[in-house]
Amino acid sequence: MNIWLIAAAAMLVCLVPAGIVCLRGDAIDRLVGLELAGTLVTITLALLAEGFGRASFFDLPLTLALLTFAGGLVFARFLERWM
Amino acid sequence: MSGTDIAVAALLAAVVLSAAVSAIGVLLAKDVYDRLQFSFGISAVGVWAMAAAVLVKESVSQAGIKSILIAIIVFFMNSVLTHATARAARIRRYGNLDIRPEEKANRARERDAA
Repeated sequence: MNIWLIAAAAMLVCLVPAGIVCLRGDAIDRLVGLELAGTLVTITLALLAEGFGRASFFDLPLTLALLTFAGGLVFARFLERWM
Repeated sequence: MSGTDIAVAALLAAVVLSAAVSAIGVLLAKDVYDRLQFSFGISAVGVWAMAAAVLVKESVSQAGIKSILIAIIVFFMNSVLTHATARAARIRRYGNLDIRPEEKANRARERDAA
C-alpha cells in the first residue's frame, strides 16, 4: 500500500458527509451534496490510477469529471424549472 | 525519503485536507449558498494539488497530462455548475432572479455606511 492509495482511502472517508447531505434537506441541498461527491470520486479515481501505476486508468476520472458536470447541470436546470 | 517523496506527500496532504474541509463545511453550512461556497474548495485547491502531485511524481507523461486535464475540467466546469446551482436555488426560492426590495435597502444601507 503506497501513499497514493492511503490518500485515496482518506478521500473515501470524506464521502460520508457528502452522503449525509444527499440524504437530508431540500432537493437543492442534496444536489450540492451530489456535486461534491462527484468531485471527490473524480479525485479518488485519479489517486487510485496513480497508486496502481496505470496511466490508462486516468481515462475514468476524466470521463467522470465531464459526466458530473453534465449531470449536475441537467439536475440544476430541472430543479429550477419543474420542481 | 527523497525531496520528491516529501513534495508528493505534502501535496497529497493538501488534497485530503481540502476535501475534509469541503465535506465538513458542506455538512455544517446553514444554507445552500454557504454549502456551494464550501463545495468549491475541493475544486479550487484539491484538484490542483492532485495534478501537481502527479506531475511531481511522473513529470510530463501520459498520467501527468491527463491529471492536468482533469484539474482544468473540474475547476472550470465546477465554476459553471456552482453558478447554475446557485441560480436554481434562488429561482426556486423567489420565483425569479430580480433583486428583492429588502436586498436593495440593505445594499443602500451598506453603501451609506461605507
